[in-house]
This record gives sequence, C-alpha cells and structure tokens, in this order.
Amino acid sequence: MLTILLLAALAQAPAPVPAQGVPAGAPDAGTPAVVPPLPVATLPPATHELFERIKGRVVQVRIIERRSGTKSSIGSAFFVSAEGHAVTNYHVISSIVHQPEDYTAELVRDGKESDSVPVKLMAVDVIHDLAVIQMDGAVKDWFELADREPPQGTRLFAMGNPHDLGTTIVEGTYNGLIQDALYDKVHFSGAINPGMSGGPTVTGEGKVVGVNVATMGNQLGFLVPVAHSRALLERARQVKESSPSALLAEVGSQLLDNQQRITERLMATLVPTQTLGDYRVPGRWLPFLKCWGDTPHQPENPYTITNYQCSSEEDLYLSSDHRTGVVAYDHAYVTSEQLGSLRFSSLYTDTFGNDAGGVDATKEDVTNFRCKVEFVKVGGIPVRAALCLRAYKKLPGLYDLALRAATLNASTSGVQTSLDLAGFSADNARAIARRYLEALAWTK
Amino acid sequence: MDEVIFLEVLEGDVLHERYRLEEFPVTVGRAYTNDVILDDPKVSASHLRLERAEDGSLVLRDVGSHNGTFQVEPWARLAELTLVDDARVAVGDTVLRFRSRSHPVEETRLTVAPVAPRGHRVFDRPFGFPAMLALTVVGYLLYEYLTNYQKTDWGSLALAVFAPVFATFVWSGLWSVASKVARRQFFFGAHGTIGSLALLGLLVMPMVVTLLTYSLSLGTWVKWLFLGVYLGWMGCVLFWHLRYVTRAEPRRVAGVLAVILVCFGVLTQADSLLGEEDFTTLLDVDRTLLPPALRVAPAESADAFFEDSQRLQDEVDALVKEGP
Repeated sequence: MLTILLLAALAQAPAPVPAQGVPAGAPDAGTPAVVPPLPVATLPPATHELFERIKGRVVQVRIIERRSGTKSSIGSAFFVSAEGHAVTNYHVISSIVHQPEDYTAELVRDGKESDSVPVKLMAVDVIHDLAVIQMDGAVKDWFELADREPPQGTRLFAMGNPHDLGTTIVEGTYNGLIQDALYDKVHFSGAINPGMSGGPTVTGEGKVVGVNVATMGNQLGFLVPVAHSRALLERARQVKESSPSALLAEVGSQLLDNQQRITERLMATLVPTQTLGDYRVPGRWLPFLKCWGDTPHQPENPYTITNYQCSSEEDLYLSSDHRTGVVAYDHAYVTSEQLGSLRFSSLYTDTFGNDAGGVDATKEDVTNFRCKVEFVKVGGIPVRAALCLRAYKKLPGLYDLALRAATLNASTSGVQTSLDLAGFSADNARAIARRYLEALAWTK
Repeated sequence: MDEVIFLEVLEGDVLHERYRLEEFPVTVGRAYTNDVILDDPKVSASHLRLERAEDGSLVLRDVGSHNGTFQVEPWARLAELTLVDDARVAVGDTVLRFRSRSHPVEETRLTVAPVAPRGHRVFDRPFGFPAMLALTVVGYLLYEYLTNYQKTDWGSLALAVFAPVFATFVWSGLWSVASKVARRQFFFGAHGTIGSLALLGLLVMPMVVTLLTYSLSLGTWVKWLFLGVYLGWMGCVLFWHLRYVTRAEPRRVAGVLAVILVCFGVLTQADSLLGEEDFTTLLDVDRTLLPPALRVAPAESADAFFEDSQRLQDEVDALVKEGP
C-alpha cells in the first residue's frame, strides 16, 4: 500500500540530485537502416517535434512558503483553456488548501524564474487527486483533452519537471485502467519521477489522456484518467471566486460522498469468509481489497501464527502527513500444542498488543483515539473487543475507526483480528465494523 | 534552701552541666582554684561564692568579678542574692540555675515506641529473611517461566534469580547502614525481609490488579486503584524500614510518609490531573488476554457494544470543539 510514492511528498526534499548521465535516446539514433521500414501510418511521431510543439503548454507549479519567500515543494501543471486554466494534482497544491496563511502558489513558464506568475486555486477533486488553477490573463497555447481512451499499448508521452531539472518528455505505453482499483487510475509504463506530478501524458497528436500522479518505481507509473480532469475543468469554469474555506468544505463533502459510496458497496455485499484454523474470518470483501497470507515457519517456536491481511492498498492524499479513505484489516490465527494456557495467554497478549498502528495523521488533522474494551458475544463465542474512534479536526463528520478483537473460546488457540477504517462517517464506520465483527465464527 | 542543691550550667535553654553541691562555701570562676569551673572567657577567674548563712539560707555573693553577676528576671546587677528554688543568675554568657532536691519534675511521657521493635515483629524471626527471599525468587522465576513463550531461555531464568537477590541485598544493606548509624544496630535480617517482601509486592500487585481488571472487565478507573495500591505498598515498605531506623513515634513516621507519597502520586499524575494529553496515533487499549477460565464478567451482545460506541463519538467530538 505504501509503495505508491507521492511525488510532491518527495519533492519536499530541497536538494535536487543532479541527473546521473541518463543515456539520451542514443540507441534510436544509431540504429542502422537494415530493418525494412514500417508503413508510414504506424510510425511514431518524432518526439522532438512533438516536444517543440507542446513544451510551452507545460509549466512548473511552485508552492511558496510565505515567510521564507521561497519554494517548499514543486510539481507540474498544464494549460487546458484560453482563460488560463491549468490542471495539476491536488497533492501538489494541498498546502494552500490546508494552510493558506502560510503558502501561496505560482507558475514558472519556460524555466524563467524571474517571470513567475501567481495563480489562484479554482477547484479540487481530492478523490482523484486533481486540482484546477488559473492564472490571470489569456493563454495562447493549451492542450486539448482526449475524448476517449486509447487502446492498450498506445505510445504516450509524459511531460513534467522531474526534480526541478527542467521540462522533460518521457516515452511510455498506455496499459489501461488498473483492475479492481478503489480509485480510478491508468497504468502507464514509463518513468514518472517526483516533480512530474500534475504534468500531462499525451498521445502522439498532443491530446491529453491522463495526469501524472504516482509511481511505484521502475517504469511503473500511474495517471489519473482524463475524464476526471474534464469534469473538474467544467466545474472550475463555473467558479467565479474561490476561498480556502470553501475549498476545504468542498474537500470534506467529496470525502463524505466517497465514503458513502464505499460503504454502500461494502454493505451491499455479504462478507465472504475465509477459513483460518478452526475459525471463519472476513475474507476478500470486495475486489478492490487485495489479500495476502503467510505462516512464518519457525520450528524452534512452540507455536504458530498464521497471518491473513486485506487492504485497499490505496489511500487518499489529504496533506503531506495525512492519508484517508482506507479500508484495511488483518487476522492472526495463533495456536500452540506445547504451551499451557497461562503461557499461551502471555503469547496471545503480546501478539494482540503488537499493533502496526493505523493511518498517518498529525495533531492538526485528528484528535486522539477514544477507546472502549469489552467482552462481546459474537457468533456464540466470547470475544475481547476494543473499538476506537477519532475525529477529523478540520473536516467535520469524518472519523477514523479502529476495531481490535480476539476470540476467547479456547485456551491454547484463537484468532485476533483488526480493522482500520479511515475517513468514514461514524455511523458508516460502525455499520461496517459491526458487519465485519459478526462475520467472525468458530467452525467446531 | 535544702542542704543539697544542684547548680546547673545552661546554654540558652539547654542544660549543659550539672553539679551536686553539698558542702559550702563553694567558689565559682574560670580559674582551677574554684570548685565549679566555668570555661566562659567573660567569667572572671574568681567570680562568685556560695555560702550558707547563719539562718541556714544559701547566699550567692559576687567576689569582685570584672563583668559582674546579674539577676535574669528582671535584669539587674547584683552583689548578693539569697537563693531560692529555680533561681537564675547570669555570669558572662553563661546562665546558672539553682535547684533543690524538692524541685518537681514533669510527668513521665508515655512512648508508643518500645526501645527496639524486636521480639514480637514478624520481620525479625529467625530465617525470616532467607525464607522471604526464597519466596520472592520463586515468584520471579515462575513469572519468567510463564511469560516466556519462546523456547527456554536459561539466561533470563538466571537473571530472574540473580536480579531480585542482588536488589534485595543492596537495598537492605543501605537500610542497615542507616539503622547502624541511627540506632547502633544493623537489623539486616529485618531489612532483608522487608526488602524481599517489597520486591514480591512489585511483582504480585500488578498481576492481581490486571487479573481483577480483566476478569471483572473493570473500567479505566482501575489505573487510579492501581496507583493507590502501589503507593500504599510503597508506604508500608518504607514505614517498616523506617521503624528500624528511627525512634520517632510510628504515627509521626506514618504521617510524614503519607504526605510524601501523596505528593509523589500527585506529581506523577500531574499530566492527567491537569487534563493535558499528548497527541498520539496509538490506541489506548488494555490488550491483556488471559485464559478463558479466568473471565468472570459476562460477554455483552454486539448490539450493546456498538450502541455504546456513540459515547466515543461524543467524546471525540468534544475533543474537536475544545482543541485548536
């Protein structure tokens, strides 16, 4: 889940590492013309011609910290209208939503720092990590948004300003929407690096098919499908004046809608169960959850622990230290044939206390957890269950819930389970947690 | 005045020396020719003289001292004074008090503390210390065995024996030295027994509280109970150690200890008493799990469990309102 590397977060590191001699398209240039030429129609466009045509449409976004007067993070953006609208990622400009008194944003065109222009934030889509900014004055040259998805394998060109090294163009291929994802993303096989966030990925004709958003390293990049950009641009055109508080409220209502959508999907399905030892536990509830299991083999230990975990492996970026929109749970089946019940209970206590912890957040984002612990009867067996809640400070109506439970029907075996829900309404979170807990059962 | 009188040399209100005088005249001064020698540099070599008059009364006469002899109350220089019981005169920086045999003394003050708490105390029994220490070591060994669910770790088992023994010896050694200084006796066995008992308590008390909390499913107020029990235990241990160190009255010792421990308890809990809470992303949950047989409290229904979570929502909502 955490392998997704958010670009702006990395860009916070101020020292731009100098590029280490990236071999520049040399193999192509040196290929002798012994291969029979392909039909003209299938020839890819010359990348340098394309770049020359569209480089002016891509700009760098700088987040300026007011007190130091200099950039605190960077990203990319691209013009999409004559009125100066540009699309970028929400995570690039999130600081000016959350701390408008500390940060402003400006655009740098053609790498000329001297004529940077201030921009206004017009609309955000926190679910798809998009934002529309606008600069004053008309723009002569802008991108056209593609109106349909290209076929898989189409050659695409990602543009942006990686590590503040100047506008670059990167070739890659379109690999379609990611299967069973909670939030729409396009799989782009090409190098996307920190700083390119918010840049466009275009076809050979220069039509935008996606917005660079994340990478998992090694040519594994992710784009936001262009349809969401188009929808957000339509909304941004309606907006005359935007204020930080209105944008924050917009973020809150988008998150509320999103959690409602996820809750409805979850509650519409019966929880499929998975056998774990003598128990049945919640299995892969919906396809967007990715589940993994393992039993570490340690013959010298007089016990075994089997783990099973499911997670959406995706989260929503709210601010640099705060993620939300998470559904994750795991189970551990602990059993021993050698330990007596007292020694087993100390093992059971330790594994129960071994908590990886929930979702990142800071004091500014959330309150502390408030918890209750009780013995609860679930499916006829006694369970020690703990339920914790914390509230979002800036986004009223949203909560994080943590549920921890351990079965107590047998003296030398048991299942421990934990559920983390981030960014749900309290009622929805409770309903999901209850459905989840009641899926627990003993098979004997 | 009586035929025998006592001359008492006072410094301030404290009695410094006492002389029994039977035969008169008696001379008083700084020189070695005197019967009563005063080492006060402001007293003359030959300062005053006590004589029996013909009528049997005792008369104090200044024999030409440099700095004179003074009546204390009221302050007046005198050359001659007929002594009565409890008369006082000042010479130099010294005050002399004269008392007869018939001078009444205060009633005997009753003491609760016998000379030494020896004999009827549990802690002083022969073999009390080794027995108690053995019990403590067995306790720690058992605890170590039960909480280790990996394969047997001989190192930590050895440590479970060595650590309490070492701690007991160091601890009771220090108290014994204090006893020796204050009461000229080590009382090592008693201190050792008390020390072992203290260590055993440190092990058993949390276990008992944990067991009760878990089996009866008690609320978070248990942490106050635990604090109380802990401080009480510490108080008892220190009290008995101190009984072997000081001769002060037990009630006073207990009072002072109580005040100290309450202050200590308040200081350690200052944070939560002031309502200050550090930010944490951790769950404040008691994760103890004990064998099913030890559960006494009934399991509630899932309905009740989730309905009651409304309370948590109200609590965190209140946190949002109060905090910036």
